[in-house]
Amino acid sequence: MSSVIIARRSVSSDRASVGILPAIVAALVVGVFVYIRVIPLDSIEARSLEVPLILNAVWEHIQLVLVSTLLTITIGVPLGVALTRKGARRIGGLILVGANAGQAIPSIGVLVLLAILFGVGFWMAVIALLVYALLPVLRNTMVGIQQVDRAVIDAGRGMGMSTRQILSTIELPLSIPVMLAGIRVALILNVGVATLAAFTNAGGLGSIISAGIALNRMPVLLVGSVLTIALALSIDWLAGIAERLLRPRGI
Amino acid sequence: MSDQPGCGPDTMIFLDRVSKRYPDQPHDAVASLSMEIKRGEFVVLVGPSGCGKTTTLRMMNRLVEPSDGRIWIDGKDVTHVDVDHLRRGIGYVIQQIGLLPHLTIAENVSLVPKLLGTNKVKRLRRADELLDMVGLEPSTFAARYPRQLSGGQQQRVGVARALAADPPIMLMDEPFGAVDPIAREKLQMEFLSLQRQIRKTIVLVTHDIDEALLLGDRIAIFGEGSRLAQFDTPLKILTNPADDFVRDFVGAGAAVRRLSLLTVGDVIDRSTPLQDYLQSTVDIHPEESVHRALEQVLAAHAQGIAVTLPGADVRFIALQDLLMAAAQPTVATS
Amino acid sequence: MLLTYLADNALRILFLAQQHAELVLISVGISTVLGIGLALLSESAPRLRQALLSVSGTFLTIPSFALFALMIPILGLGVAPTIVALAIYGIFPILRNTVTGLEGVDAAVIDAAKGVGMGGGRRMLTVVLPLAWPIILNGIRTATIMLVATAAIGAVVRGPGLGELIFRGLARIGGANALNEALSGVIGVVLVALVLDLLFILIAKMTTLRGLHV
Repeated sequence: MSSVIIARRSVSSDRASVGILPAIVAALVVGVFVYIRVIPLDSIEARSLEVPLILNAVWEHIQLVLVSTLLTITIGVPLGVALTRKGARRIGGLILVGANAGQAIPSIGVLVLLAILFGVGFWMAVIALLVYALLPVLRNTMVGIQQVDRAVIDAGRGMGMSTRQILSTIELPLSIPVMLAGIRVALILNVGVATLAAFTNAGGLGSIISAGIALNRMPVLLVGSVLTIALALSIDWLAGIAERLLRPRGI
Repeated sequence: MSDQPGCGPDTMIFLDRVSKRYPDQPHDAVASLSMEIKRGEFVVLVGPSGCGKTTTLRMMNRLVEPSDGRIWIDGKDVTHVDVDHLRRGIGYVIQQIGLLPHLTIAENVSLVPKLLGTNKVKRLRRADELLDMVGLEPSTFAARYPRQLSGGQQQRVGVARALAADPPIMLMDEPFGAVDPIAREKLQMEFLSLQRQIRKTIVLVTHDIDEALLLGDRIAIFGEGSRLAQFDTPLKILTNPADDFVRDFVGAGAAVRRLSLLTVGDVIDRSTPLQDYLQSTVDIHPEESVHRALEQVLAAHAQGIAVTLPGADVRFIALQDLLMAAAQPTVATS
Repeated sequence: MLLTYLADNALRILFLAQQHAELVLISVGISTVLGIGLALLSESAPRLRQALLSVSGTFLTIPSFALFALMIPILGLGVAPTIVALAIYGIFPILRNTVTGLEGVDAAVIDAAKGVGMGGGRRMLTVVLPLAWPIILNGIRTATIMLVATAAIGAVVRGPGLGELIFRGLARIGGANALNEALSGVIGVVLVALVLDLLFILIAKMTTLRGLHV
């Protein structure tokens, strides 16, 4: 999944989506709120769609995504850097091969297995998200550093930079775009997997969707799904903007 | 350095029987090579690919660590000194240039001073100076990023960066190799005149014999297995190639190339006193090349060319004699 | 423990695995028709093509649970919503690779085909598509592997396949066989992915023009 999302970036014209996406998201959110005001709701629906309840689900979802993504970056980037250092490169290659194969494991599987083995709740869901989103961050950090032009590193060595100076002034800044792409993918994956966290009692917008399915109430299901999509699009949109702002100039 | 026989006060770089062996390779990349390069000298290493010329260059700043032998720089054995410190004192220019794409031109140029702890104001002033020196207007270029520059302009920045800390030595690995032919010629000429001002000790690697003949005070021609086939001035190499390998490597155009290296003054003993101004319709300064003199004679359909010597003595060299200078190289070896 | 469970339930697991593979292959089939079709339709409309890529790519950012759930009001529960949702996800990698493949065909070859008097349709069928096929096939393979994992979530809309085992394990947390069920579901999904991946390697070997083998 993550490799496909990475590929998506090369074609989705960010410039166009910058203008259109917020409009789509706003339309979705406004549409949802108008919809639940306009249509007649039965008591079950009304209870499931109270605004504070919805906002709480949104907030839980955002927390899941933010905490897991931050942890993913905190672990994935330094680990990725370490695995490109001399002496660790072979292990790094092996880890990448293993992690790539691990992509075939469904996210719901990781979530459920962890829940069965270690229990349910917010933090267990965070760990599942982290495990699942670590690969793109780790891989892109490694690829980002490996793709740095050897000539630039050679020039750096030639002018007397130490290994650490080469890492901090050449390798890290030049791998930022690729790293950011990996982090954006992790973010997208986390938004999606966090939806499933509802199944392991970690809350989030998935709980509204699954309530809608369980109670067979289409308005509830629609609100949950549409808000999830709106949240996913907004986070991707924000990530796209952050990506452009954080990219070093000149690259 | 008293214990170094090949190493005098004029010596800037001295390679003492250095070798480089790579594991899993049957032959040494460089085998027991000794070489002395003098202060302020422009030495070109030239040879076919795989002859070890680049390895030799990269051993001078220890980007390649020699497996054997010792490297002396400015009278000091640097074979085992701190390598980063060593490199900060040696300018280094490579074909791919290797500018840091995320830094501005000014920041790129002031990298080494920054590594050496020079303060920012001084660094930037120095960067402006250097950009000026390599023919890039600082107010236009300082704040740009490398990818906004053409290949030739980028290599000027590469040279400026290498000069930033005013190192006595510059190592250049095919610096003009990636530039288009027209820009290359311009860069070469400008670099030559820059070198006349700054008088660095320069070691330059190229595979292009013409570039070697144009730039080098002395040329080291490498043969198979890093054998130093000949290490001499361009003129000597053209006139007295050490062996068939050198003769083949210098190639068929040797005679014509020699004309560019010889000045009219070098062949003045072939001249006769100018009898009659009608004899020649063209004249030339004695420091111009014989090649240039020939061009003028041929263009004017003249019999020969008049040369005005410093003492206002005017001599005449016939077309025949200009051509002979190319064919019989034994004249004028300074 | 796991082995006893597997032995006792082998038939059921195999049946679910087969269902899972069929489900994915049908969905990928639809994605392939749509992906290649859209690429061909937008041949002479680069901006439309860009928009199609952009939209199909954006679908990938939509959480699968939300997309599956959205199918319920329209298509109800069961096989249909699962296939439609999966097919939507599968379009992008195939569309993108088809576009890349078509654009990568040497212009000189197309010129030569025109030169010998081939019409547009014939040129596409006998020259362009065969040359672009290895890249298109790789897109189909990528889509397939991705959908094998995504299809596990289809169980939330009562879709067929191995997701059922994972959700059964989830429903019985604390029960004796919870771990075995979930684990056999997960391992089953990975194995289905592996088998289909091998299948694609085989197909690639058999369908790539001889001259294109490296």
